[in-house]
Amino acid sequence: MGGIHEKMDFDKELDARGLSCPMPLVKARMELNALAAGQVLKVVATDKGSVADFKGWSDAAAAVELVAQETEAEGENTVFVHYLRKVS
Amino acid sequence: MTSTRRGPSEWGPAELQRALLSPGESPLFVLDVRNREEYEAWKIEGRFGPETLNAPYFEILERGGKDDMVDSVAAFVESELSAKLPREGTVLAVCAKGGTSEYVAEGLRRSGYSAANLSGGTKAWADYHEAKVVVDGPTQVLQLSRPARGCLSYLAVGGDGNATAIDPLRDPSPMNILLTERGLTLERVIDTHAHADHISGGPALAKERGAPYYLHPFDAVHPFDLVPGDLEFLNLCDQMSIRIGESRLEVMHVPGHTLGNCALLLDGQVLFSGDTIFVASISRPDLGGRAEAWARLHYRSVRRLSELPDETLVLPGHFASYRELDAQGAARAKLGDLKQGNPGVALALGSEEEFVNGILDGLNAIPESYVEIKRVNAGLAQAHDERASELEIGKNECALA
Repeated sequence: MGGIHEKMDFDKELDARGLSCPMPLVKARMELNALAAGQVLKVVATDKGSVADFKGWSDAAAAVELVAQETEAEGENTVFVHYLRKVS
Repeated sequence: MTSTRRGPSEWGPAELQRALLSPGESPLFVLDVRNREEYEAWKIEGRFGPETLNAPYFEILERGGKDDMVDSVAAFVESELSAKLPREGTVLAVCAKGGTSEYVAEGLRRSGYSAANLSGGTKAWADYHEAKVVVDGPTQVLQLSRPARGCLSYLAVGGDGNATAIDPLRDPSPMNILLTERGLTLERVIDTHAHADHISGGPALAKERGAPYYLHPFDAVHPFDLVPGDLEFLNLCDQMSIRIGESRLEVMHVPGHTLGNCALLLDGQVLFSGDTIFVASISRPDLGGRAEAWARLHYRSVRRLSELPDETLVLPGHFASYRELDAQGAARAKLGDLKQGNPGVALALGSEEEFVNGILDGLNAIPESYVEIKRVNAGLAQAHDERASELEIGKNECALA
C-alpha cells in the first residue's frame, strides 16, 4: 500500500488532525456532500478509531466509496489517511 | 476507584456497576454506538440484563441524515428507534471513549428520553476496579475486582498490619490505594498460577514495594515455547505454609489449568481457588496445548479440593457472568454449594473418563492473545500501556463454557 499513496489523486483535503470521534467523520461527511460525483476527499486524522469508523461508514453509506486507507508517520505522531470517493 | 460526583446525565463506571448489580425500580437500556465488530466481541453485561442495542454512530449519522451529530441522533431515534427504546428508566449512551456518546445522549434527551452518557466510554469501564471486604476477622480478606473482564485478586490482611497480595492485576493502583489507605505493609505477593488472560501485576508490585514474589516453578516455563522464564521469584510448593499475622496460608499444588497451578487455604476455612474452581464452573485445562493430559491432572486436583469441608468459603480468581456475583458484586461460594450446583465440580466427582470426555467436548478456541500474555508473565516479553490494553481486551475465557 505504501507505493499507492504517492500517486493518490484527490480533489479536497480535510485536516482532521487533533479531532476526536465523531468529528472526523462528521466533517468528512459534510465535505463529501459538497463535492461532485466522482470526486475524492482526502481525510487526515490522528484518531486511531477513524480507521475502522471510516471503513464502517463507507460500508453503510451508498454514496461513499472508500478508495484507500494509509497509516503514516508524521514526526512523532501517527496519522491515518482516508481517501473517499463520492459515488453519486 | 472512588467516583466523582456527577449529575444524573453523566455516569461513571461506578454508577454503571451499581445499575448492573441491582437495577432497582429503574431499568437500564444501553445504546452502544461502537462498530459492530467491537460490540460483537464484547458488550456491557450485568446481572439483570441490561437490554442493549448496537447502532454504530456512523450509521446513525448517515441514516439520521443531518450535518449535525445531535440532530442526526434525534432524527434517527425518532424515525427508527422509537419502538425499541424504553420511556422509563435510563438509556445509557455508550461508545469507546465517551466522546461520541455525549452527542448521542444529547440527541436522546432532545427526543424526550431520560438519557445519560457513559463517561470515558467502554475504555473507562474496562479499566474500572473496585474492592470489597469478603472475609472479616483478625485476618481480613479484600476482593479486588475488574468487573468488565471478570478478573479477581485479593489482599489478605493480617492483624499485624502486614498484607499478602494474591493474583494482583496489571493496574497497581487499586492495590496501592488499599495499602496506603489502610497503612499496610506489603509482606509478599503470590501468583496462584501464570495467567493467560491478563498480564500479572505481581512482579511489578513486588518490586515496587520491595516484597518477595511467589510462583510455582512449573509456571515459570512457557508451556508453548517450552522456554524457561526470566523472572525473579520464590518457589511455591505443595503443603508450604505461609504466615499472615496470626493466620496460616497453606499452599495446595493443584495442576491442571496450568502445571504450576496452586490454591491457597487460609486457616483451613477460606480457599483462594485461583483458576481451579469458579462459582459456576471450573477452569479449562487446555491453555498449555495439552488438553487431555492436563485434564487428567485437573480431575485429580478438583477432587482434592472438593475433599475440603463443605463450609470452606471459596474465593475464585475469575467470574464469567454477573450471575456468579452477589448483590454487592462479590464472587464467593461455600464449597458444599459448589459440590451441589457447579457442573464442573460435579463432573469431577464422577469418573475420570467422563470428566476428560466432558472437558474435551466443550473446549473453545484459545484466544490468540493468551500465548503472548503468558510470555509476558514469564518475563519473556514486554507489553506496556496500549499494547497491554490490546492484549487484555474482552472478558476472560478461563472457564469451561
